[in-house]
Amino acid sequence: MTDQPGGKNPATTSTDDDGTEPDARYTFANERTFLAWSRTSLALIVGGLAIAQLLPPFPGIPWGRHVIGTPLILLGCAVSVISYLEWKASQRALRHGEPLPRSRLPQILAIAITVIGLIAAGLALLSAVGVP
Amino acid sequence: MSPPAGTTPAGQEPADDIEYADPGLARERTELSWTRTAIAFAALGAALLKYRPVVGLPVLVLSAVVWRLGQLPGTAGAGDVRDRRLLLITVTTVGVSLVALVLSFLGPGIVSLR
Repeated sequence: MTDQPGGKNPATTSTDDDGTEPDARYTFANERTFLAWSRTSLALIVGGLAIAQLLPPFPGIPWGRHVIGTPLILLGCAVSVISYLEWKASQRALRHGEPLPRSRLPQILAIAITVIGLIAAGLALLSAVGVP
Repeated sequence: MSPPAGTTPAGQEPADDIEYADPGLARERTELSWTRTAIAFAALGAALLKYRPVVGLPVLVLSAVVWRLGQLPGTAGAGDVRDRRLLLITVTTVGVSLVALVLSFLGPGIVSLR
């Protein structure tokens, strides 16, 4: 049961949330943020697939492409799911007039890309050293 | 001759207040964001279509669905509708990532198909 303080119009509230509908501009901004993260996750997936399928194998390290490509695809999947959860949390905070929760996605993305980049650099060095 | 400080010519809003006066700009920017997302799906579908038509074609169709979703009215108060639309994007992206994962491991590489 939803109790609407101040006699709010039920038509402006969601059925699964007891908060009130925030300013439409904030809702749209939250939606655009989610869509931007979705495009980022698509780019990560495409990048991972391209590395696994288009990149020539590292000399002496045939599995090297998958070591780089697979984490990128998984990262893209994770970014998509987390961005949805964060959109939901932000929307809930907006409806209740609470401070917006802090996004962890920039930190996750920065750390993951750094690690994958270091792995890629290591593989490139290994394959260069291993070539007779 | 420029108007005095703190005033604007008749019929004009200060540039900073256009967004405040017309929230429709937010709606328009959001629709454009949906379009960019649809284009991202279409680009992925087109790239896959060249080498894996069975996978690329559904992704291309999905891009059209995403574009159409962005055109639907997302009015205030349509929280459940918005939730379902964004959930669909998430599920689609997760599905695409799983397909990409399978493609990256199964079958010969695209390079070898040339």
